Amino acid sequence: MSSNDKSLRIDVVDVGAIISPSDSTILNALEAADVHIHYHCREGFCGACRTKLIEGEVEYTTDPLAFIDDDEILPCCCVAKCPLKIKVPL
Amino acid sequence: MKYTTFNQQSTNPLIEPMFFGNPVNVARYDQQKHAIFEKLIEKQISFFWRPEEVDVSRDRVDFQKLTDPEKHIFISNLKYQTLLDSVQGRSPNIAFLPIISLPELETWVETWSFFETIHSRSYTHILRNLFSDPSEIFEDIVVNDEIKRRAADISKYYDDLIFATQLWQTQGEGVHTVNGVAHTINMYELKKKLYLCMNSVNALEAIRFYVSFACTFAFAERKLMEGNSKIIRLIARDENLHLSSTQHILNLWAKGKDDPEMAQIAEECKEEARAIFMNAVEQEKQWADYLFQNGSMIGLNKEILCQYVEYIANQRMSAIGLDTPFEISSNPLPWMNNYLNSDNVQVAPQESEISSYLVGQIDSAVSEDDFADFEL
Repeated sequence: MSSNDKSLRIDVVDVGAIISPSDSTILNALEAADVHIHYHCREGFCGACRTKLIEGEVEYTTDPLAFIDDDEILPCCCVAKCPLKIKVPL
Repeated sequence: MKYTTFNQQSTNPLIEPMFFGNPVNVARYDQQKHAIFEKLIEKQISFFWRPEEVDVSRDRVDFQKLTDPEKHIFISNLKYQTLLDSVQGRSPNIAFLPIISLPELETWVETWSFFETIHSRSYTHILRNLFSDPSEIFEDIVVNDEIKRRAADISKYYDDLIFATQLWQTQGEGVHTVNGVAHTINMYELKKKLYLCMNSVNALEAIRFYVSFACTFAFAERKLMEGNSKIIRLIARDENLHLSSTQHILNLWAKGKDDPEMAQIAEECKEEARAIFMNAVEQEKQWADYLFQNGSMIGLNKEILCQYVEYIANQRMSAIGLDTPFEISSNPLPWMNNYLNSDNVQVAPQESEISSYLVGQIDSAVSEDDFADFEL
């Protein structure tokens, strides 16, 4: 497998597309691509990075404790399972 | 309904509502109606810290170097935070425990309040280090008009709920005249008071601390009052968790996942709930005005602080299903994020790399490789 296979495309509404390594949290991937979004705890309990998931599916690396709606994710504690389309808090 | 500390009737806590069902009897956590509160308890306990673990002795030297307007900003914020945690260290217990019906929620409220008392103790720790006798500072909290005005708004909803609950638990539903004033007590009124109170607490945890946090971290950006900043980071981490709990409660109600009557009340009282939040935003902006009345501090002024309050308010209002009334769309104080990141929270020097660890941990993970040497 080439390393390209382990990267996924994330479309960020109003920002552009980024490429995320599939083992990186979405928050880390965004920051690596110089997209700086609002965050506090980076552990899934505060909800500051609450993001709308428009398309795709994510997998949590830490159980999220902050309140999120059904169509929302916490990018600080999840990884992309497939290409995503999201709207982030800038 | 009369309160009992151990309800002798068999109840099923898996079908009780969060509030105003049967009183809790057995404190059991093997099963939960709302598992989130059990998870919050575990997280909060893992955050345990003591103010004395943070060395604030260098702050005394830094404090002498501050200008008079900066001293006013620093001390006023400590007074305001002392007020907030004085209220929060007791009120959730007194207002919510008598009407809670789920063991996991009961213990969450107790754990939450206990951590607020740690915060209160840390303000004494900070002030004792700065002043040989901090009495004057503490005594001013009950006479300072700027603080009193906020105290009245914060305690009003708690006091209202507590008084109505006391009447209901001693005299039942009906119209009760106390000192010549008639009070209508019925379940709808009680639940409405609870709903408004929870919104007021949510607004408190969501934005009332953040003007003070921003000032503290602005000092730390200049390498000033860093001991104080370490303590405030720990407090901010706890407050973020507390906020998560009030957001969960409000959303469980609004989405009809708990008590159907509370869902109806949430719909009916949406405007009142919004007004509570907007009023808290306004008061925070006025607080920024009061802080900077004698002059600004480097790296922060009233305008940018008010923009930050609006930015945070937008986020926190949308989290409970309200609109986002403020124009601001990007974070005016991005460096705040670094201070609120729980990985950067450091208690003792040996913890510089990790923020949570287990005492007496046993590695119980067993993989197939561990059996490689075995033969049958």
